[in-house]
Amino acid sequence: MIRCEDLSVSIHGEAILREVSIDIAPGKVTGLVGESGSGKSMSALAIMGLLPRGAEVSGRVMMGDENLLDTPERRMCDIRGNRIGMIFQEPMTALNPVKTIGDQVAETLIVHGKASRAEAREIAAEKLTRVGLPPDRFPLSRFPHELSGGQRQRVAIATAIALSPELLIADEPTTALDVTTQAQILDLLNELVDELGMSLLLITHDLAVVAGMADHVAVMKEGEIVEAGATEPLFRAMEHPYTKRLFAATAHQPERRPLPPEDPILDLTDVVREYPGPRKGVFGRGDPFRAVNAVSFQLHAGESLGLVGESGCGKSTLTRAILGLDPVQGGEIRAFDHRVGPDFPNALRSGIQVVFQDPYASFNPRWRVERLVAEPFHLMPAPPADRRERVAQVLEDVGLNPDAMDRYIHEFSGGQRQRIAIARALITRPDLIVLDEAVSALDVSIRAQILDLISDLQAEHKLSYIFISHDLSVVRAVTDRVMVMKAGEIVEAGVTQTVFDAPQHPYTRQLIAATPRIPEDWQEAKHA
Amino acid sequence: MLRFALTRALSLALSLLVASVVIFAVIEVIPGDPAAFMLGLNASPEAVAALREQMGLDGTLFTRYLAWFGGMLTGDFGVSYTYKVPVAELVAQRLQVSVPLALYALVLSTVIAIPVGVIAAATRGSVGDYGIMGATQLGIAVPNFWFAMLLVLVFAVTLRWFSAGGFPGWDAGLWVGMKALTLPAVALALPQASILARVMRSALIETLGQDYIRTARAKGLTRRQATVRHALRNALIPVLTIIGLQFSFLLAGAIIIENVFYLPGLGRLIFQGITQRDLIVVESLVMLLVFAVILVTFLVDIAYAAADPRLRRKR
Repeated sequence: MIRCEDLSVSIHGEAILREVSIDIAPGKVTGLVGESGSGKSMSALAIMGLLPRGAEVSGRVMMGDENLLDTPERRMCDIRGNRIGMIFQEPMTALNPVKTIGDQVAETLIVHGKASRAEAREIAAEKLTRVGLPPDRFPLSRFPHELSGGQRQRVAIATAIALSPELLIADEPTTALDVTTQAQILDLLNELVDELGMSLLLITHDLAVVAGMADHVAVMKEGEIVEAGATEPLFRAMEHPYTKRLFAATAHQPERRPLPPEDPILDLTDVVREYPGPRKGVFGRGDPFRAVNAVSFQLHAGESLGLVGESGCGKSTLTRAILGLDPVQGGEIRAFDHRVGPDFPNALRSGIQVVFQDPYASFNPRWRVERLVAEPFHLMPAPPADRRERVAQVLEDVGLNPDAMDRYIHEFSGGQRQRIAIARALITRPDLIVLDEAVSALDVSIRAQILDLISDLQAEHKLSYIFISHDLSVVRAVTDRVMVMKAGEIVEAGVTQTVFDAPQHPYTRQLIAATPRIPEDWQEAKHA
Repeated sequence: MLRFALTRALSLALSLLVASVVIFAVIEVIPGDPAAFMLGLNASPEAVAALREQMGLDGTLFTRYLAWFGGMLTGDFGVSYTYKVPVAELVAQRLQVSVPLALYALVLSTVIAIPVGVIAAATRGSVGDYGIMGATQLGIAVPNFWFAMLLVLVFAVTLRWFSAGGFPGWDAGLWVGMKALTLPAVALALPQASILARVMRSALIETLGQDYIRTARAKGLTRRQATVRHALRNALIPVLTIIGLQFSFLLAGAIIIENVFYLPGLGRLIFQGITQRDLIVVESLVMLLVFAVILVTFLVDIAYAAADPRLRRKR
């Protein structure tokens, strides 16, 4: 179908792709796996002829007898959307917010002159129905902001397949979605491949997704294909050390030394958190929205507690309440035998710290690392005099050179930034750290390192963790107990191993079933 | 959408009410007798008493406010002390110059700025872009009265295409009136267009970097199609804000240009009202301008909602 031969790309002199050769077979799913910055997306954009300005390309991208790299822009516009469709990672921003979904799907047909306006709308309705958005429930006049992330990704798919292209390129199509939504979108893509007989180039960082979907896999590292072949044999053999490393990182289980149970440090009873309802009229308001409903649990010193659930289930709202950032509307949160609220003493507040998801957005770019890391000191009645020594110590604890404290945050990579975020949480020597999706934005190998670090620190400093994540495999690897949250309520709680091995609640079962995984016999074969 | 418009209209009415109270209070708070203040130090007591009666300064604060506000609702703004004619008549005359002038300048500025901004954004980093950015920088920096005099020198004195100033009135014909307003409108539009073009450029550049533009390109749209169909409408939202602010400014902020061209506009009327202590005129004009600003804000809000479905109420 499409054959990339010795495709090289450099941007302003910096090599991004080096002699990449990929065969995308007709009617098959080809997986392209690698960590961020490995050149996966650039390969896709090179095929589409949509490389950023300043990019220099060499090699060939053959579609039939045509080399797409030599094809004039006018002709490429005919090919894009017509013979090759593409969908992207971030469904929240991939659609134009001021155009209706019907118009956006119909546009593909109109631009290529394949249908009149009226016909295009009819076909758009058909395609939207096909991707699971029938017009009786999702009228064509809907705007993107009226849909959820998964629904928007369906619209993007409908747009891309409106002309039944020969190839669909899906660049991390499910990375921003919940596990259950991810499973539905992947199923949909699979069905479409069969139905339309099209090829799918599936770009992802997740080996498990590829294992479940792809016929062929290419593994990419620093702009080069290090290993490629049919999926199952490739997984069974894993000849290249990088593939092995990637696989090991995915399945990584940090070594944990469970601590003896101690007294509870955090105690929640029937916590309710409500948001004011939507405005109605000028002064009125609708019924409040209950984001957290009657949540009760205890957390003991030295314990790791997982909290899993889909986006919007109330995980983050609950976290904010525990941190004392928002008032609760019912029930009580007690930490260190004190009620958490506006009059929660600062000295105790310094005993609870937090690490957020985005290592790029959670630092003030104009402060040096020393000031960033030392900031929680303001919670203490008397900030320690040996400030620089304390900062140096925590930086060493998280595996960074103490020299880092005189630099600015933009000089660090994502993984290093997350280490700095952990250092900032450690500086007050807290008892409890809330890790809110703290490893979700990281590549698998970096994630494995950070998980190791988190486990080591727990043993060293006798920390308790609340580990919030939508990634079940990570939660399984690092927590003692787990709670499953749905629509503001805890539907299941228990010892992690038990919950995962024998889930009781149907929702937990659904979540576990939706999690993509590499078939176990493929792995056994490798270990044997 | 209708509900959105209605709630906005209600808040418009409320703002007006609050503004009227504030303006009334400010005039009342001025120490001493407004009539004596207006007439100056050497006024005879009879004259002051006559003016007091004319201004309706007898009665309680509340009844006076009601009389003033009620009068305004029915178009009775009182009688100007210096001109001895009803303020409403005075203002109506001046509006005939100021509103067309402001609209003329605004249309000119928008018609120039939007394409210029779009071209600069589409050719970002090119010689053309740098040229446009330099020119707009100049357009903002040059004082507009100086530019106005330059226009007079070139087009009125040397080329004799336009008259150097004055306004013949609309009775002389639409074309004649428009011609008289052309040079002032150009002088007013230059800095506005420069600002607007820069806003348009940066808004469009930001929009062109959005994910949905990439999606549009992946659908097979050309760069130009993606710009026109997807980027432009999204980029217009910040531009609308600036246009709204500019109209309010143009309506009353044209004093210098009105003076350069001897135009009988609102700006000059306010200026004269203040220097001659004609508080009745000042009070009414301030109220009128507040009304204009609030009305424009309301229209901009409506335009926002038309441009951006996310601002409309949920169905």
